[in-house]
Amino acid sequence: MDMGSVRSGHVPPDARDPNAYADGFTYTNMPGFEGSDRIKFATARADEFEVLSGNQGEGFAWSVQANYGDDHNKAWFRTQGLKDSGPWDPTTDAEILWWRPLSAFWGMQMGLRQDFGPGSHTYLAAGIEGLAPYWLELEATAYVGEDGRLAARLKGSYDILFTNRLILTTSLETNLYSRPESGRGLGSGLGNIEAGLRARYELTRKFAPYVGYVLERSFLGTADRRRVAGEPVTEHRFVVGIRMWR
Amino acid sequence: MVPFTRRTFVQGISAATAAGIAGVRPASLFAQGHHRAELHGPDIDLQIDSMPVSYTGRKRVATAVNGQVPAPLVRLREGEPTTVRVANRLRESTSIHWHGLVLPAEMDGVPGISFPGIEPGKAFTYRFTPRQTGTYWYHAHTLHEQTGLYGPLIIEPKAPQPGRADREYAVLLSDWTDEDPLQVFLNLKKMGGYYNHQRPEASDYFKDVSQLGIARAMARRQMWNRSRMIPTDFSDVSASTYTYLMNGQSPTGNWTGIARAGERVHLRFIGAGTATFFDVRIPGLKLTVVNTDGQDVEAVEVDEFRIGPGETYDVLVQMPNDEAYTIFAQALDRSGFARGTLSPRAGMQAAIPKPDTPHWLTDADMMGMMAKPDDMASTEGSMDMSSMDMSSMEGSGSQPKKARHARTEYGPAVDMRVDYPRTNLDDPGVNLRDNGRRVLTYADLRTIGGPLDRRSPSREIELHLTGNMDRFEWSIDGVKLTEAKPIHFRANERLRVILVNDTTMTHPMHLHGMWSELETEQGEFQARKHTIAVQPAQRISFGVTADALGRWAFHCHLLYHMAAGMFREVVVA
Repeated sequence: MDMGSVRSGHVPPDARDPNAYADGFTYTNMPGFEGSDRIKFATARADEFEVLSGNQGEGFAWSVQANYGDDHNKAWFRTQGLKDSGPWDPTTDAEILWWRPLSAFWGMQMGLRQDFGPGSHTYLAAGIEGLAPYWLELEATAYVGEDGRLAARLKGSYDILFTNRLILTTSLETNLYSRPESGRGLGSGLGNIEAGLRARYELTRKFAPYVGYVLERSFLGTADRRRVAGEPVTEHRFVVGIRMWR
Repeated sequence: MVPFTRRTFVQGISAATAAGIAGVRPASLFAQGHHRAELHGPDIDLQIDSMPVSYTGRKRVATAVNGQVPAPLVRLREGEPTTVRVANRLRESTSIHWHGLVLPAEMDGVPGISFPGIEPGKAFTYRFTPRQTGTYWYHAHTLHEQTGLYGPLIIEPKAPQPGRADREYAVLLSDWTDEDPLQVFLNLKKMGGYYNHQRPEASDYFKDVSQLGIARAMARRQMWNRSRMIPTDFSDVSASTYTYLMNGQSPTGNWTGIARAGERVHLRFIGAGTATFFDVRIPGLKLTVVNTDGQDVEAVEVDEFRIGPGETYDVLVQMPNDEAYTIFAQALDRSGFARGTLSPRAGMQAAIPKPDTPHWLTDADMMGMMAKPDDMASTEGSMDMSSMDMSSMEGSGSQPKKARHARTEYGPAVDMRVDYPRTNLDDPGVNLRDNGRRVLTYADLRTIGGPLDRRSPSREIELHLTGNMDRFEWSIDGVKLTEAKPIHFRANERLRVILVNDTTMTHPMHLHGMWSELETEQGEFQARKHTIAVQPAQRISFGVTADALGRWAFHCHLLYHMAAGMFREVVVA
C-alpha cells in the first residue's frame, strides 16, 4: 500500500497499450472540435488577504496565487508577505514558477523567487505541491540564492468543515535558511514556525470573509537577533480578512 | 455575494411570476403542453436562435428551436425518407445530433466527427430514413445542450399499430442553470467539488462517534480520507445552480398531463439532463416499464426507475381515479427535483414527496469486488492484490474478472483504478439501494426478440472510464479525446466492448450509430440500448455489430465529462 506516493503508480509490464485498437487510424483534421479537453484557463486565489493586530502592532498580510495553463502545464505566480509596525516580514516575496503534474494529487513547481525589503535575495526555486492523504494541502519548496545560500519553506493546511459553509482552516508554515541575513533579521537554521487558525464563512464558493488567530515563533539565530533588537520571539496576532478566488 | 436560498433554485418560479418580468418571454408559458407545437415529418424546418427566458426570476438567454425551449417534439415515421433543414441564427457554431438513431455517419451531427458543425447564418440539411421506432431525442452536440437545445423525437411505426394507451406524453427531464455553461465547466476545473454542498461535516463525525463508537466512525472515513475522495461526490453539478425541469417547467410551473380515471397513460421519459441522473416515481401508481432507448422490453412493474442523460424509458400507468398524481423526479444527489402532475384537469396537484436522504457511497463503489470492511482501494498507488483474500469476495459466485489497465492509467490524469470490478447488474445504484421501493435495475431489462446479431463476438475491446475528480479531468484509459487515437471496429464484425468504471461516479456511455447490446455477467444478451450507465467500480460488457461505416462518437453523456475528454472517436472501416 503506497497511497501517499507523490509519484504516479508503477506501470505493470502487462499493462494494455491504449492505442492498440487504433490499427493505424488517426483523426481526420475536420474542423468543428471545440478541443475543450485542452482548455487553457486562468485562476487566481487569495487564501489570505487580511488586516492584523497583535503584539507587534497593526498591519496587513497576504498569501495570493494565480496560474494559467492546461492540465499538463501551468505558469504559476505566488506571493506572500506581512507588514506590521516593524520592517517587512522576512518571508515577504514573490515567485514565478512552471507547474506540471507529477501524479493525480501532486504537482512540481520550478522557477524563481524574489524577496522584497532589505536584505532581499533572488533564488532559484524547486518544489512540490499537492494533496496528501487525509486531505492535507502541502507545499514544500527548496531555494538556491544567487550567492549560493539555501532556503526552504514548508506550508501545510487542513480544513475542518463545521458546516459546508463555515470552515476552519488550520495552517502551519516554517522557513529554514543556510546562512544568516542581517538585513532581514534572519539567523541560520530553523527561522520560524507559524501556526494559524482561520474560520471563514463561504457566502459563495468564491468569497468568504474570515477571522483568525496566528501564533508565530522564531528560533535559533533569528530568535537571538529579535531578542537583541528588543522584539518578541513569539508573536501573536488576530486577523480579519477575505478569502476569495476566481 | 448574496447567499442564495436553495429553495429558489430548486423550485424555480411559476409561470405567472415569469410573465411579470418586463421583456422576458417566460419559457414556462411556452412549455405548457397545449401551447407547444409538434412537428411532423417528412420535411421539417428548424431555426436555432437565442431567446430570453427566466426560470429563476432572472433574465437569461437560452438556445431555442423555432422559438421553443425545450425544442419542439418531432414526430417521424419509420421507413419514410426525411429531410430536416436546420438554420443557425446564433452568433456561434452549433449542431443537432439525433440521439439513438441509426443513420448515415455524415448525418449524425457531431462537430469534428460527422461534419464541421453549422456555422452562424448557415443551414445544414439532414437527410435520413428512420429504420427504427420508439422514443428518442435530439440535442446540440455542443455546450448549447445546457442552454436548452434538446427536444423529444418520436418515430412511429410504418404501419399504424393498436394504441398501447388512451393517452401519450413525452416527459423530458432536464437541468437549467443561470450560469454560462463554460463558467460551470471552469468552476469544476478549478474546484472539482464546486457544486457539492453536502460534503461530510464535523457534526456527521460526532453523530457517527455517538452511534458507532470512535473506532468505527474513523474506519468508515479511512478509505475516503486516504484516497482523498468524497463519499458524497454523487454529481458534479447540483441544485446549488440547477433548476430541474420537466418538459421545460420548473417544479413550481408544474407540467401537467391530463389523465382521467380508468385511462391507461403512456409516458415517454427522456433523460435530457446535462449532468443529472433522475430517479422517477409516481407515488400511488405502479410503473410498467415496456421500452428503453426505443426498444421494447418484457414488461416489468416497478415503483421507481433511474434515468441517465441520454437514456429513455417508456412507462405505462393506469389511472385508478380522478385524482392528481405527482410525477416526482429527484436528482441522484438528492439536492433537488423536477416535478409534474397527472390529473383529470389542469390546476390540480398532489402532495410532493421530500427528496430522499442521500447515503454515502459504499466500499463497493470504490473497490468493486474487493470491497470488504477495512480494506483499501487501489487508488493512486499500488496495491498488492495477491495478499487479498479472494475467497471472501462478494458477487454472484462467478469468478472475479481482473481488469486490464492501460499503461496510460498510471499517470496524473487518473486518481483511482479498480483491479477487480463488480459485475452485478441488479444494483439499482447509488442512493437507490434498499429504499423500500421496487426500483428498476438493468437486470430487469429484457429486450423482446433477443439480439440483432447472434454471432458470438470475434474479439473484445476493453476500455476503462477514468478520471481525476480533484482536477476535473475525465478520460478513457487515462487519455483524453484529443490525445487519443480512434478505436477501429472492422466493418461488419461482431465484437464485445468491455467497460470498466475506474471512478466513483456513474457514467452514461453513448455509442453513436450502432446499438449497444448489454450483456449479462455471463456474456449473454440482456438488453439493446444506445446509452448504458456504468456504475462506480462496475464492469459491464455489450455486443456491437459494426455495420455502420464511417466515423462515430463514443462518449460519456454527462456533458462536462465529455467536454473534459471522456470521449473517443470510433472508426468503422
